[in-house]
Amino acid sequence: MAREAGVLSGRGKAARGVLSGYGAFVYVFLFTPIVLLVLFSFNASEAGSFPITGWTLGWYRQVFGDPDIQDALRTTLKVGVQVTAISVVLGTMAAFPLVRGGLRFPAGFRVAMTLPIMIPGILIGISLLILFTNVLHVQLTQQTAVIGQSLYTTPFVLLLVAARLEGFDRNLERAASDLGANAFNRLRYIVLPLIFPAILAGALFAFTLSFDEFVITYFIIGSSNTLPIYIYTQIKYGITPEVNALAALVLVASIALLLLAFILPAGYRLVRKLTRRAAPAAA
Amino acid sequence: MVPVAVYFGLFFVVPFALIVCFSFWVDSNYTVVHHWTIENYRYFASQSVYVHTMWSTLWVALASTAITLGLAFPFSYWLARYVPRGLQKLLLVLVIVPFWTSYLLRVYSWLNILGDNGLINTTLQKLGLIDQPLSLLYHRWTVVVVLVYLYFPFAALTLYSSIDRFDWDQLLAAMDLGASPVTALRRILIPQIRPGITAAVIFVLIPILGEYLAPQIVGGTDGIMIGNQIDEFQKYALYARAASLSLLVAAFIVLLLILFRRSLGTREAYGA
Repeated sequence: MAREAGVLSGRGKAARGVLSGYGAFVYVFLFTPIVLLVLFSFNASEAGSFPITGWTLGWYRQVFGDPDIQDALRTTLKVGVQVTAISVVLGTMAAFPLVRGGLRFPAGFRVAMTLPIMIPGILIGISLLILFTNVLHVQLTQQTAVIGQSLYTTPFVLLLVAARLEGFDRNLERAASDLGANAFNRLRYIVLPLIFPAILAGALFAFTLSFDEFVITYFIIGSSNTLPIYIYTQIKYGITPEVNALAALVLVASIALLLLAFILPAGYRLVRKLTRRAAPAAA
Repeated sequence: MVPVAVYFGLFFVVPFALIVCFSFWVDSNYTVVHHWTIENYRYFASQSVYVHTMWSTLWVALASTAITLGLAFPFSYWLARYVPRGLQKLLLVLVIVPFWTSYLLRVYSWLNILGDNGLINTTLQKLGLIDQPLSLLYHRWTVVVVLVYLYFPFAALTLYSSIDRFDWDQLLAAMDLGASPVTALRRILIPQIRPGITAAVIFVLIPILGEYLAPQIVGGTDGIMIGNQIDEFQKYALYARAASLSLLVAAFIVLLLILFRRSLGTREAYGA
């Protein structure tokens, strides 16, 4: 990269200049809707649109006091936790035979497990709606929504864990086996610690996707409201800045969560390094 | 292993088999009669509304995909080639930040950009360029703009990770040998990132074919897509009709995947 700076011709410099300007334009395009969203959350006017009539924090106060929003948030978190648990268990389980073989129809299995993220959510939604209401005749509840979302989130966990397993040195397991570890202990002390970062990343991914999932959920949640479903009903009647305040809070929370995801592993490594260094001294 | 197969079998494979069956059955008095027929498909083909919506969906999907990739390519190229390494990661994260807030509200926010009192019309009026607000909402083009906005990050990330692996010396070598910059891009870079381009097309085009929210919020009657019609049918419990439209979309997607698979496959045959 350092080479570029020195050797760029006049034309190269011009290309870089034009493209940098274009890059800036792309960020304006990507961020204008979000900036507006946050801006209106501080707008005193009831309408949630231009003009800005004054500044207030009232909408934020209202979010925290709104029982509908709290109810929707509770449902969202409940659904999210269940979806995360199901996708982590199923996704990790499915990653092993996919990477290590032993399947009778590996290609078919791979397709069936990755198709849910490729096809539009509406197809999953409609097909499950037909299954639940016309064939199984079950009531549409949060549980049916959990099933629908997990179809979509499990493949992400599967792909992340499978990628980690691909680079896994199986000699470690053989060594543990030679040293007398049984299958459970090999899993517990060798395999799981090594693939844990992928599982954690998968869990975070699954939860984030579930938190904002609308397309599938809309068809199969029945009368419950998750946050996206609540926002959808608000949009139909014209939203108030209260919903904008809610979105701004979600944005801040997601950024905080992501920073945490970056900071936690680094902090964990630091603590381990320190304790390891301290251990011989203590002995 | 068995639990995973049972779970995905019961909730993914079986529902799709149901879609196939239902699409050849008929709705009658809020139930579905198990009578095998192609009546649903004949109905769609005979009603100009549905034929029109299908063409319109295809048009919107293809236009949005082409524009999204056309915008994402120079961006990814810039990011991979001209931005310092350390900054690249941060700028990439910034591309995904829009994903961290509500998808619905990101679509809704476009009403405040394109509406009569929106950002664009207000600015143009203040500058004295127009007297009457331009009608920017509720057209098919509006849907395309919003879909490009929604799917740009998918294309940018996919193309970036593909371009990032490219060896820039090859481009310089081509130009040393007399190729113009454009020829060098077309003959050296593009062929090498073709799998990335194919992947980007898959990630953008396929989900757009099933979109129903963006068209519903910003599209008006002009911007209706197949997804909206599927939603309309299920609201009236016309499950056979909804299933047959869904199967049409699914069949089209399977066809696309088979085509793309071949384009990915030939490249692997070269061992690149």
